[in-house]
Amino acid sequence: MSKTLKGITLKGSAELVAEFFSFGINSILYQRGIYPAETFTRVTQYDMSLHLTTDAKLKNYLTNVISQLKEWLFDCTVQKLVVVITCLETNEVLERWQFDIECDKTAKENGAPREKSIKAIQEEIRSVIRQITATVTFLPLLETACAFDLLIYTDKDLEVPEQWEESGPQLIDQSEEVRLRSFTTSVHKVNSMVAYKRTNSM
Amino acid sequence: MDDMEDDTTIFSTLKSFKSFISCPDRSLLETEPAFGRSGLQNLYTKRVELEEAAERVRSHTSLLQLTQEKQQMELSHKRARIELEKEANSSSRDLQREIDRNRELLLQIRHLEEREEKANQDLNEQMENNKALKRNFEELHKKANEKDCKLAEADQMISELKDETRRLNQQIQIQESKFSTQNLEIQSLQEQLDVQRKKFQDVSQRYQNLQSSHSTSTESERKMKELERRLALQEQDSVIVKNMKSEVARLPELEREIKRLREENTFLRETKENNSLLREETEGLRRKLERMERVMEEKLKVELEKEKLEHELQAWENIGQSTGLNIRKPEDLSREVIQIQQRELNLKQQNYTLNSSIRSVEKTRTELMPEIAQLRAKAQEEQKKRENQDSLVRRLQKRVLLLTKERDGMRAILESYDSELATSEYSPQLMIRVKEAEDMLQKVQTHNTEMETQLSKAQEEAGTFKLQAQMVAAELDALKEQQVPNAEKNTLATADEVSSLRQKIEELEAERQQLEEQNNILEMRLERNNLQGGYDPVKTKVIHLQMNPTSIAKQQRTEEVEQLRVECQRLRDRLRKIEAGGGMTTDDTTLIIPPSQEILNLRKQMESAELKNQRLKEVFQKKIQEFRTACYVLTGYQIDITVENQYRLTSVYAEHMEDSLLFKSTGSVGSGSMQLLETDFSRTLTGLVDLHLFHQKSIPVFLSAVTIELFSRQTVT
Repeated sequence: MSKTLKGITLKGSAELVAEFFSFGINSILYQRGIYPAETFTRVTQYDMSLHLTTDAKLKNYLTNVISQLKEWLFDCTVQKLVVVITCLETNEVLERWQFDIECDKTAKENGAPREKSIKAIQEEIRSVIRQITATVTFLPLLETACAFDLLIYTDKDLEVPEQWEESGPQLIDQSEEVRLRSFTTSVHKVNSMVAYKRTNSM
Repeated sequence: MDDMEDDTTIFSTLKSFKSFISCPDRSLLETEPAFGRSGLQNLYTKRVELEEAAERVRSHTSLLQLTQEKQQMELSHKRARIELEKEANSSSRDLQREIDRNRELLLQIRHLEEREEKANQDLNEQMENNKALKRNFEELHKKANEKDCKLAEADQMISELKDETRRLNQQIQIQESKFSTQNLEIQSLQEQLDVQRKKFQDVSQRYQNLQSSHSTSTESERKMKELERRLALQEQDSVIVKNMKSEVARLPELEREIKRLREENTFLRETKENNSLLREETEGLRRKLERMERVMEEKLKVELEKEKLEHELQAWENIGQSTGLNIRKPEDLSREVIQIQQRELNLKQQNYTLNSSIRSVEKTRTELMPEIAQLRAKAQEEQKKRENQDSLVRRLQKRVLLLTKERDGMRAILESYDSELATSEYSPQLMIRVKEAEDMLQKVQTHNTEMETQLSKAQEEAGTFKLQAQMVAAELDALKEQQVPNAEKNTLATADEVSSLRQKIEELEAERQQLEEQNNILEMRLERNNLQGGYDPVKTKVIHLQMNPTSIAKQQRTEEVEQLRVECQRLRDRLRKIEAGGGMTTDDTTLIIPPSQEILNLRKQMESAELKNQRLKEVFQKKIQEFRTACYVLTGYQIDITVENQYRLTSVYAEHMEDSLLFKSTGSVGSGSMQLLETDFSRTLTGLVDLHLFHQKSIPVFLSAVTIELFSRQTVT
């Protein structure tokens, strides 16, 4: 980690946020059952036990995205990261996990590290991940086979890399939204929320 | 009892009639002196009364006769009714019996019909069974022809099958016999049916008779009802007669009343004339009374008026005395009034002049008011000046006193110093001190004067300010009085401006609130949109990896679907081929199970059995044919079984083809007892029939006799 013990630099913040996203996405995939539970192992991170996938293809995909995301976080050109869960049979979007990223651009110009303890940041991240786990109680069951996708909202003028393409926002028709906790590294602020398709069985 | 009562009434009426006849003689004698003219009238009335009594007696007798007739009628009615009721009961009983019998017969008919239907059904079933058996026979026969190799088993089978055929023949015979018996039964049942129908016709005839008797009974009932109605009417008439009797009893009383009333009438007529005269007198008196009363009232009024006029006169006379004027006549009064009016006019004129003078005076007063104010102000100024001066004077006096005191003091000091000067040599110092003191004094004095002048100036200024203030206050009051209306207009104008400004403020505030609400709503919508994932396409774009799990999963899905489709198609084609090539497929099996050994063996066995059957049938046919021909040749009769249990014999020597004898087997099967049925041919052989069958009771003899007869006929002819 290239963050100093005194404070958080832009690069360090980008790394922290990217790390959070990788664990967070893995947790979401495990909790929602997109991939079978036996394909996940347990690791310790942020003083809690988290799930990490062992599927090679999935791992490869995630590392690609997260590495690209880290670059963009450093450039402060990324605005949102969205995990979209689609039903394979009907091709309908059932869930949308949206993470808004607010970057303090002054950190780019001014290289001075910010005063914020890593412990505090980790504490915040922990509470966010705990909340993600807790959402299982009210989110509707995903009964059909589902697949997920990662969308990134960036500035309009950003150069799209080779393997990436533009897509639609993949919004949910008739959604219910729930705001979750946010955490900040004093350079980047991440707000999390989940939107799910309203079930008509009520 | 009624007769006795009737007789008594007759006697009573006769008595009354006699008494009445005797009475008028006495009454005539008594009343003659009183009423001379009215004797004839009484005679007439009595005659009328007598006639009326005679009529009454006649009506009585007729009534009695009618009642007697009525009673006789009643008795006859009762007797007829009883007889008719008896007849009706008996006929109803017969009716019911016939109806019951009818029902029973109908039930029997229904049972017989049901039995007939069952027999028909059994017949049909057995016919069908026969047909089926025949078909089976034919099939077996065909199969037996094809199997030559296994005769040993076939012989056993033949023997078994012979037994079977024998059994079947027996069954056929049994069925034929049953059929014939059933036919006979059917005939007997039909005969019974005819009998029943005849009975039914008899019953229907009886029923019709019953109906006619019923109609007669209803007619008699109608007659009875009419007689009853007449009876009721007669009863009503009897009631009326009773009422009439009561009225007749009241007659003598009525006659007495009539007499009294007539006497009163005459008396009243005499008094009527007196009455009219008296009424006229009373009317005249009443009118006079009214007139007198009116006159009295007028008199009273006149007296009152007179009193009033006297009072007035006295008042008028008093006026003259009270006022002290020389008034005796109203002319004087009018003169006085005119004088008073003139005085009034004069006074009014004076009043007007006075008012105008007052106004002018007021004007001058108002003009003088400000002058007065000014003068007052001046007076006040002067007063203040005077006060100032008084205060100055006092100060001066005080100063003078102080100065005098200082002078006295200084003088005392000087004197003391002078007294002391004589003793000491401090005079130049003293002189210097005195000078210094004097200087000091002067300075103090000048300071004092200056202060006093300043004081006075200040006081003057204060006084002038006060004056000015008072002047201004006075001016203000004057202005207020003058300009009160103007001031109001100004305030109104300002109030309008204020209200318009306030309205504008309120409108602006409302707009502001609305805009705030809209702002809030828009912010909420923005937030919502943001939460749902919307974005501003001008500033942001959404990107993702091309090879993302969702797209990969979708691709896999489509590939799976394609594979499944292809497999489905392939399986369908295979199915079609199998179904086309299969042939012997059972209901829903799509697989062809290879036939097992047992089934093959069984099939072979079946084929062999069928072949055996076929061969057996052929053999039977041959044998039967041989047997029949042998019988025909040896006995000379061809025996045919046309119907079950019936045998038709045709002779060799028959003259016509149709000549045949019919025998029926009676009794149990195999007993051999036969009966001859009648045919055309048998009628020609009646002699032989009587001899051989009735007397000798031997059928073979009869048959041989018949052959001999026919042979003889043939050879002869």
